[in-house]
This record gives sequence, C-alpha cells and structure tokens, in this order.
Amino acid sequence: MIRFDHVSKRYAEGIYALKDVSFELVAGEMVFLTGHSGAGKSTLLRLVLMLEQATRGQVWVNQTNLSTLSMRSSPLVRQSIGMIFQDHKLLRNKSVFDNVALPLLIAGLRYAEIRKRVRAALDKVGLRQREKSWPLTLSGGEQQRVGIARAIVSMPPILLADEPTGNLDPDLSAELFNLFRQLNQQGVTVLIASHDLSLIRRMGKRVLILSQGSLIDDIPADPTSEGFYT
Amino acid sequence: MKSQTLNRRLRSWGRRQLYSFFSSIGTLLSHRFGTLMTVVVLGIAMVLPIGLLLTLENLRNIDLQQDQWGTLTVFLHMDVTEQQVEGLEEQLSQMAVAETNAISPQQGLQEFREASGFGNALDVLDSNPLPWILEVQPEWIEDQDMDQQVAALSTWLESHDLVESVVVDSKWLQRLAGLIRLGDAFVSVLGFMFSLAVLVVIANTIRLDVGNRADEIEILSLVGAGPGFIRLPFLYSGFWYGVLGAFFALVLLELSLAYLRAPLASLMDAYGNSFNLAGMSVPQVFGMFLVGGVLGWLGAWIAVQRYLRQLNRGGLLHPV
Repeated sequence: MIRFDHVSKRYAEGIYALKDVSFELVAGEMVFLTGHSGAGKSTLLRLVLMLEQATRGQVWVNQTNLSTLSMRSSPLVRQSIGMIFQDHKLLRNKSVFDNVALPLLIAGLRYAEIRKRVRAALDKVGLRQREKSWPLTLSGGEQQRVGIARAIVSMPPILLADEPTGNLDPDLSAELFNLFRQLNQQGVTVLIASHDLSLIRRMGKRVLILSQGSLIDDIPADPTSEGFYT
Repeated sequence: MKSQTLNRRLRSWGRRQLYSFFSSIGTLLSHRFGTLMTVVVLGIAMVLPIGLLLTLENLRNIDLQQDQWGTLTVFLHMDVTEQQVEGLEEQLSQMAVAETNAISPQQGLQEFREASGFGNALDVLDSNPLPWILEVQPEWIEDQDMDQQVAALSTWLESHDLVESVVVDSKWLQRLAGLIRLGDAFVSVLGFMFSLAVLVVIANTIRLDVGNRADEIEILSLVGAGPGFIRLPFLYSGFWYGVLGAFFALVLLELSLAYLRAPLASLMDAYGNSFNLAGMSVPQVFGMFLVGGVLGWLGAWIAVQRYLRQLNRGGLLHPV
C-alpha cells in the first residue's frame, strides 16, 4: 500500500530529514511510526501526501510511484488518503457537518449522498449530534474526532495520522487509538506517527522507529497483545 | 462507457461550481460592511466614465443636423445688381445647396424697420445703406459631415467677386462637434483607466480575502482540493463585486439623471427645443453588468494566482 524505496530527503541547507529509508506497508496493516521530535516522522508523512518530493529514492502509494507523477496530480493522491493532523486543521468558520463534508464537496458528490456519508462518518466517531456545532465549541478530543470523520468520510484505503494524540490526555488518547484499530479492522491501512510509546507498546502493532532521519528499527506486530482497553 | 464517465465528471464539475457560487455569496454576506464599501468604491469608479458616455450620447441626440444651424448669411458688395444676384443664385443651385433666399436692400430695410423699432432714425438716411443679402442653406447629404460642407461652401463664396463677407452661424456647432469628438476620446481613455481601477480594487480586495483565508486554503489543499477548487469561490467573489459595483453605478446614474432632468428640461425649453434626457438602454445595462462581472473575475484571478503561488513557495501546496 505504501512503499519507501531507499528514500532520502535533503533540504537545501544540506540537512537530511530522511536518509535511505526503506519499508513497506501491506494493505490492511496498522503501523506506528515513532522517534524523537525531528527524527523525520512528519517528513515521511509529507512525502506520502506529496507535500514534499523525495530527493532520492521512490515513494509508492497505491501501486503508484509518486516520483513519476507531476505535482499537478498531488490533489488526486491526497484524495485517496485520509489524513489526520495534530492540530486538527478544521475550518473554524464552518460547522462540523461542513468540515466533514469537505472532501466530498471537492469530489463533487450529490448533496443527498454527502449528507448520508457525513452522518455515517460522524456516527462512527460518536459525534452525530454535534453536526451543527462550530469546531471551537468542541473539546480537543471532539475536534480530533471531527478530523477523523473528515479523513474517513470519502472511505480512502489509507489513513495517515500525525501525532493525533499530541494534545490529549491518556484516556482520550487510548480511546482514539481504539477508534483507529476499529477502522483498521474494517480494512483500512493505517499509519500513525506518534511518540506516545506506552500506548504504542500496548497496542501490539508493528512499529517503525526513526532516529535522525534513519529507520533504525522495525518491530513486528505482537499477536499476543491484541487486547487493549477492552 | 466513456461518455458515462464524462457525464459524471461534468455533473461533479457542475456541483462544484454551484457550491462555490453559493459559498461566495455566503462569504460576501458574512462581512457585509466590507463588501458594501468595496461595492461603493467600484460603483463610483464605474459611474464616472459611464456618466460621461451618457452625457455625450445625449448631446448627440440634440439634432445637430437641424436646418437653420447650417445656414450661411452672405453679404454682397454694395454695387451688386439684382441680375448679378440671380446669376449667383443660379451658380449656387448647381452646387450642394438646398435653398437660397435673396433679400434686397429694400426688403432688408423694411425688416429692420419693423424689427428694431429704429424706424424714425432710418428716415434720416439719404440712401439705403444695406447690401443685397443671400441666405444659403446647404443641402444635407447623408454620410457627409455638415461642418465640412458648410466650410467648403463658405470658402467658395468668400472668394467670389460679388461677395463682401460670409457669416457662418454654425461655428459654435463645429466647436460642439469637435468637443463631442474629444469627449469620445476622453470616454475611451477614462473607460480604460477606470476599468483598470476596478480591476485593481477587486484584485486588492480578493488579495486581502485570500490572505485572511490562508489557513482555509492550506486545509483545503491538505484534504485534496486542486487549485481549481480553491480558486473558484474567490473568482465568484470577484464576479459578484463587479456585478454589484455595476448595479450601484446604475443606481447612482439614475439618481443623477432624476436630479438633472427638471432643470435641463426648462433650459431646453428656453431654446425652444424639446429634449428628453435618455438613460441607459437595456443592452447597455446588460453590457455594464457583463463588463463589471468580467473585470471582477479577471481581477480575482490575478490576485488568487499570485497569492497561491506565494503560498506555494514554501513547498506546502501543489503548484498552481
């Protein structure tokens, strides 16, 4: 689903954000990406979203080599990926409903279809009653769930999350990770960048560890530790 | 199969247009005061060239080809006889002349006596001091400039042996025609400059709007909006600014016309001329809205392109 082939990303100042990173996520996998701040987690996600281009190597998303695409195709690539941000990235002047509807409006769906899908997505994150609320009236956890609803509303095969629990307390973080696991069980490939090591450990999923731009470890999933917060 | 996907694409495209169309109205309404100020500025910028154009059209509507205005009054030498006058009339009838009217010195004196009230004073004179006078009415030829015709006739007459002098009543008319021509050029220049002003005002307004919504643009592009989708609401906003500006200009224009109509009518009455001050015709109104809308769209396009390119310099978005 996502494949990095000896990918390096070097900025103009000569600093390597990523150095010769190779890994592969197969469809239906759920993987955590961890490492210290500045280890290159965000850069890696940005490469998948085509917000950046690799200096060397190839990034494959959905069997497509991104380096063969022109930047013009980046909207199409992003439409096939659900992305969740640490700071939610919600439109403050739009209601929860309108925020979640955004990817569908971009796709130009019929309004009846949009309504149906947005409500289904809000149902999934438990915010069905808040569709008319404004994002700023919601708690941080709720805002994050709106962000998740927006990411899954167009039913993309891949879900990326960049520090989704960064601003949340442990209980909410655990709840959120459970939600990701549910989505993963429905067949979505999930890649979560996080430095919440204790939570990651308890999830028992595959973990990629970055340090100073290099992939230093790839810990496989532990099938015995699936029972998390049940 | 292929036409089906094309059909679906077209429908998606239509829905996106519709969404941007309504969302742009929502944006304008959400800051009414700012929108109103922009619209007032645009209206004033538009009303100036259009008002001048309308003034010129109204001036043109005053019948510049009116008969008397082209008349030449030809004063002949004192010693000219009636036969010579008839000869001159004969010559003139070969030329582009509609009518000649000879006034003998006796007729002239009589008319003067009646009109001036100096009857008794004239009795003091031994002889008639008036020469033969010829009133020449040039023939009006379609597609030909009356001024030039009058000028040509006047030149010919002035060089004639029998003629003492020629008085042309239409000098002011020529000047007016010249002024109208100058006015036409002025309208073009003003029209261009104020179009530019409208373009810049809208571009600047949209630029600020884009700047205020930089976060929104970033979010849109992160969830997969292409440059077209991001641009569209701004283009519609520009369009609305232009159309609303044109509307406001029309309102200003109609108010001015209503204010001018009464005094103008009384002025024209004094000249014995009935005259109806014309407003904008339906195609002109339509044209105004169209020009306003197109200028707005264009201004918005310039601003959005520039700003999106700037935003993109950080490598954040897609190329625009």
